[in-house]
Amino acid sequence: MAATRSRTSSFSRNQSTSPLSQIPGIKPGPNGVTYVSSGIPDLDKILGGGFPLGSLVMIMEDAEAPHHLLLLRNFMSQGLVHNQPLLYVSPSKDPRAFLGTLPSPVLSKDEKSRGSIDQEQEKGLRIAWQYKKYFGENQQNSDRNATEYCNEFDLRKPLERHILNAQRIECFSIQESPSLSAFRDRCSSFVTQTSRKDGGTISPGRIAIQSFCAPQCCYSEMEWDMLSFIMSLKSMVRSSNAVAVITFPPSLLSSSFSKRWQHMADTLLAVRAIPDEDKELAKLLTGYQDMVGFLHVHKVAQINTQVPVILEATTFSIKLQRRRSLVLERLNQAPVDGSSGSSHDVSGSCSGGSKSSILDF
Amino acid sequence: MAETICRALRDGSLAGEHAPALTIKDSIPSPFGFDAFTHFLCSLSSNICAGKSQSQGIVLIAFTKSPSFYFNLLKSRGIDASSSSKWLRILDCYSDPLGWKDGVSVSSSTGTLCKNVRDLDGLFSSVLQLGKEMVGPSKARFSVAIDSVTVMLRHAALSCVSGLISNLRSHDYVSCVFWLIHSDLHEARTIAVLEYMSSMVASLEPMTVAAKELRSDSESIFSLKQYSRKGKFHLRLKRRNGRVKVLSEEFHVEQAGIKFSVNSLTNDIVSQSLLPKVQFNLQLSEKERSDRENVVLPFEHQEMGKTTEIYDGRRSLSNYATDLSTTSASISEKQHSDANIVGKGEIHYLRDSDDEEMPDSDEDPDDDLDI
Amino acid sequence: MQVFITSPISLERHLHRASVFARRVILIEDQVETSGAFVLHHLIKRSLSIESSEIVIFVALSKPFSHYDRILRKLGCNLVAQRENGKFIFIDMLKLECPDGDEGNGVGGGLIDLYRKIQKFVEVNASTSPELNRCITVMMDDLSLLEVAAKGSSTYVLDFLHYCHTLTSENGCSLVVLNHSDIYSSKTGSTLILQMEYLADVVVQAEPLVTGLATDVHGQLTVLNKGAIDEHGGVRSKLHNFHFKVKENSVEYFYPGSRA
Repeated sequence: MAATRSRTSSFSRNQSTSPLSQIPGIKPGPNGVTYVSSGIPDLDKILGGGFPLGSLVMIMEDAEAPHHLLLLRNFMSQGLVHNQPLLYVSPSKDPRAFLGTLPSPVLSKDEKSRGSIDQEQEKGLRIAWQYKKYFGENQQNSDRNATEYCNEFDLRKPLERHILNAQRIECFSIQESPSLSAFRDRCSSFVTQTSRKDGGTISPGRIAIQSFCAPQCCYSEMEWDMLSFIMSLKSMVRSSNAVAVITFPPSLLSSSFSKRWQHMADTLLAVRAIPDEDKELAKLLTGYQDMVGFLHVHKVAQINTQVPVILEATTFSIKLQRRRSLVLERLNQAPVDGSSGSSHDVSGSCSGGSKSSILDF
Repeated sequence: MAETICRALRDGSLAGEHAPALTIKDSIPSPFGFDAFTHFLCSLSSNICAGKSQSQGIVLIAFTKSPSFYFNLLKSRGIDASSSSKWLRILDCYSDPLGWKDGVSVSSSTGTLCKNVRDLDGLFSSVLQLGKEMVGPSKARFSVAIDSVTVMLRHAALSCVSGLISNLRSHDYVSCVFWLIHSDLHEARTIAVLEYMSSMVASLEPMTVAAKELRSDSESIFSLKQYSRKGKFHLRLKRRNGRVKVLSEEFHVEQAGIKFSVNSLTNDIVSQSLLPKVQFNLQLSEKERSDRENVVLPFEHQEMGKTTEIYDGRRSLSNYATDLSTTSASISEKQHSDANIVGKGEIHYLRDSDDEEMPDSDEDPDDDLDI
Repeated sequence: MQVFITSPISLERHLHRASVFARRVILIEDQVETSGAFVLHHLIKRSLSIESSEIVIFVALSKPFSHYDRILRKLGCNLVAQRENGKFIFIDMLKLECPDGDEGNGVGGGLIDLYRKIQKFVEVNASTSPELNRCITVMMDDLSLLEVAAKGSSTYVLDFLHYCHTLTSENGCSLVVLNHSDIYSSKTGSTLILQMEYLADVVVQAEPLVTGLATDVHGQLTVLNKGAIDEHGGVRSKLHNFHFKVKENSVEYFYPGSRA
């Protein structure tokens, strides 16, 4: 168990958090939680800092859209940029091929061009700017070392080969794996390696598991074994310096099992496709043209606290800004009658509203 | 009416017949089956103490409560517990049903411990042994009570459980058998099997049955806005003469136990549920029959001297419409002109909608589409 | 709805009666959207308070000790100290997995061991200080995970619960169990939660508000006390319903409509 978790005195927080803050890619949070970045600056802000170390993040896929891969790629790339070990698990036969699709960070060296991008962003996207005010203070603080903690990624530019080669990257195909126990052993050895401290520095590990209950895996029918695996993965990760992200298509599970999976997650996200060329929706949502899908935040990790995180909004649009970087925005819904909104299962609070409304997703 | 059950249990079985058997069933909206069970247990106990009953003792198979619970219960209901060793034996399937408990400490001072409830044959023989011990070598009978068939079914297959019950009912020394089951924890078939095996079925239901709400809601323990300790008590009694007596009462659960009270609406429910439900009249009056015979059905005219034509669905509409004008389709219009024709049966009908310009036709509605 | 009552009400009052009479089984139900874990924290805190001499045996299936330690510290209860003086016994079952195989006890084996462990703690406490006659509360933070560990065999889980229940009648223990009600809402699902509802004396249900989550109201709580004794000594089943807001050091309860 990590030193951060086994303290006995209530006054030791500062001692342990101060060294953490010096390591790039790690950010101390409240309640002794340490965050790593999700690789998407907006998502980090929404979640209050990122994914907590020791937590299990689950992303519910949309059967019709690959948006979960966007989240997964950024999560993986961010770890590699921070020099963090990665275990990538995929149902495909050749998981390593996926690494070639990882996005490259927008270089922080040329601050000038970056600045100009920022200006353009603000000009072009009023909403994003408006949105920032809700996170005003955090934003100021995190901006200073934003280049270190969280990068922006250019989805069109693949990650440079030297980064891929320099890292400790493990790939694992769950389709090839005969049983879950082999998979579990693999995860367990990865986690024990990351929790070992090399010269006092902690390098958090990232586990990315894609489409865990994909039908081509031989155990996809063994619902209880999969749950048991998730349970043991969760307990493994909890006592280590790692974060695990699992994406899964809930439509392939029975409703009761899908609920069980959701209960397992510390942070629970869902992505959804957006109907193409839907005129009604275009009228309803500002910025419909740039949207590629929706992200719904079902649950934010509640580690070491009993207070739930209540977000002002839980549904966000996923946009590809300038066709390269991933942006999440609160839905800005034109004030129209509820019936047309609900027919698309999309509803959101007005931008000025102070209370959030229920969002069925 | 609960009194009816008490009497039936007290009177026991006739020689050569199966012992009377009572199923008590409840469900989560009104989970007071156990209170009813203890009510009948206590009533039978006091009858036995008073020497009024056929059976001279009870063997209680306890799955959900400990033996000491039952002794305390009897004491609190004013039944002489000191003499209970003469007429009560508890087979303790509660304290250690599967033999999980480590080592020494398990000793059931008040009951006979059963450490493997999965073995129903063993259970059956211990019940008989306990019963015979209790009533002695005479030909006296004893009763058997099972406080939860639900738990029993968790440990053993339905066929084994019904086998056990059947063996008990047909045994010479058994006076009556009664048991409790939670109906919503089992498949409908399981409940049907147990009801089939019993001569009395008592069911406890909430006062107001929630109208068909959301599926999950109606089953929830919170489904009733006012969680009530009152409810309805229904009894189906299979009588020996082949009749079924259906009775209904209200109950109220108090600290001192369950109380039954006759309510007024009893017989309505009974007759409603017994009479076959028919939503239309099967019989015809004489006039109706003659009218029906006079109706000229479409195409019937073809037998009456006219040329036989079989409509193939392709004829032009105009032909068709004129043809029909003599038959059924425009009868409602004809009604006015032909009103003087008495005794000729007619079919009156209303078109569903008026937005169709033509009278009903079998034309393909998509004919006008250029595909 | 009692809209105009604004005085703070406490869960304490409604649960208190339950604790007066030991040997209670308390079931906490929650959902993905609204965690009911805070009720568990509340019960730990109350059982370990200075005036209480209760002992808590906590079977953790979902969260590690450090998590509870931090939360309870903010509630004013030091779990480390309580663990050292033997009032809080933490059984870490996060890695519980019942062994496969057909031999002997099979899947149930892990649960038998867990039960024996609990039983041992109960007996040790009963034998070391019989004169104190301390109440022992056995808590489980996620029953659905026990099902997972038993590979979906709810029979074993029910057997295990039955044995825990025997502790309530033989040793005067109380049993507090958290489970998720939304898992069992589909018809085909297991009847575990229904079985629990039959077994429980008190059922506490946490659910989101129909109108969604708000910063002021985190959800609503329904407490069903099956055998509450009223002022006149009669039994009444009581159903209470209120809204709650969870804070670090306490939980606020209020009547529906009296807030926001």
